[in-house]
Amino acid sequence: MSDSVTLDPPRPQPARKYTRPRHLISWPLLVVGLVIGVGLGLFYAWAIDPVKEFDTEPWQLSDADKRHYLVAIMLGYAYDGDLDRAVNRLLSLRLPGDPIQAVADAACYLASTGYVDSNSGLRAVRQMMAFYRLQGKSGCADTLLPAQDAPPTTVVEVVLPTATFMPPPTKTPTPAGEGRPTSTPVPVVVPTVQPRTSFVLVNISTFCRADASGVIEVNVQDGNGRGIPGQEIRVRWDSGSDTFFTGLKPERDAGYADFDMEAGTDYLVEIPGHSNSASEPLAAVPCTTSDGESAITSYRVVFRAG
Amino acid sequence: MIRFLLSLFAGLIVGIGLGLYLGWVQFPVEYIDSPASSLSPRYKDEYTVMVAAGYMADRDLTGVMQRLRVLGVENIPAFVQEVTERYITTSRDVDDVRPLVGLSEALGRLTPIMEPYRQVRLPGQSS
Repeated sequence: MSDSVTLDPPRPQPARKYTRPRHLISWPLLVVGLVIGVGLGLFYAWAIDPVKEFDTEPWQLSDADKRHYLVAIMLGYAYDGDLDRAVNRLLSLRLPGDPIQAVADAACYLASTGYVDSNSGLRAVRQMMAFYRLQGKSGCADTLLPAQDAPPTTVVEVVLPTATFMPPPTKTPTPAGEGRPTSTPVPVVVPTVQPRTSFVLVNISTFCRADASGVIEVNVQDGNGRGIPGQEIRVRWDSGSDTFFTGLKPERDAGYADFDMEAGTDYLVEIPGHSNSASEPLAAVPCTTSDGESAITSYRVVFRAG
Repeated sequence: MIRFLLSLFAGLIVGIGLGLYLGWVQFPVEYIDSPASSLSPRYKDEYTVMVAAGYMADRDLTGVMQRLRVLGVENIPAFVQEVTERYITTSRDVDDVRPLVGLSEALGRLTPIMEPYRQVRLPGQSS
């Protein structure tokens, strides 16, 4: 027997639970902690201490305030006539479905409430109706509020006599009854609906000057801003009306005309037959000039060919 | 055991931080049914301009007061004056400034800075 024993080289032991090298971090527990942490963080951020409300946008408003905003959009549109701007503003409300139809629905709602009891509310709803009708929409406001349509066209027949001059005297007497003035009735058809509007009221501004107290200054311009002389202007007030023409003060402007108001009276300015809506009432109310003098408010009104 | 606790704690800390970021910054709570008084200043201004434009059309101060009251401002004339002067000093669109000046004047808040906008002249208008 040999004393020497040959030993096999030690075989590597399989890694066991207690022999594996230890990492500083336990990845499974880290992930578990992460998930729980995210949950806790979201709960705190959404439920316990949410972001304070700021920079609220129109679409976040309550239904009632959305309607207020919508009415304001319509008022803005009535003033500037900018359809793109109005539609963009409507889109900011994120109204469900077609935004134009949403205007019709809002008008319907407002028309069925006490909102239209005031002139202001009624005017606003009518403006909404005009807006959505132009876009081909309809709503129940159309039936709830009788439209402010133009009166039906009626024809008035005015019979005007045609004058016939007396014949010069002749030496030969003529039988009685011949040569007398005769009047031939000629029917004249006067439509009560004005022709298509060709002038629009583009601006009204006020000023207060002692040397031009209580004056309505009217400028009528063509599409390029040049004055149009000879244009008839009509001013109406409670107890009467007056017409005058542009161009009588060419030193001011070819399209200029003015009218003196009486204190305490409201006036409407329009171009007869060419303006579908007169100005709002221009009130001759007292004002104080920059020098401290008392005067009556004056107005500058601009019509432009449309 | 300490290793486990450390990992769990580290995960929690990172997770809470991530959750707060997501909940406050990335996906904050979005409010609905908000009152008009909480509108952002930008939209309050825009609303005021639109109401002022409505005033230019109908000259109805009562309607103006009713419409601006929903913004929750205490002093409406002072608010309109402030918006108007801000629009002027920041050179905003004159088409927006003009109705604001008109409304400010109607509310008795015409200030010298607004004066030039009372008589905005159109191109070609000589007087």
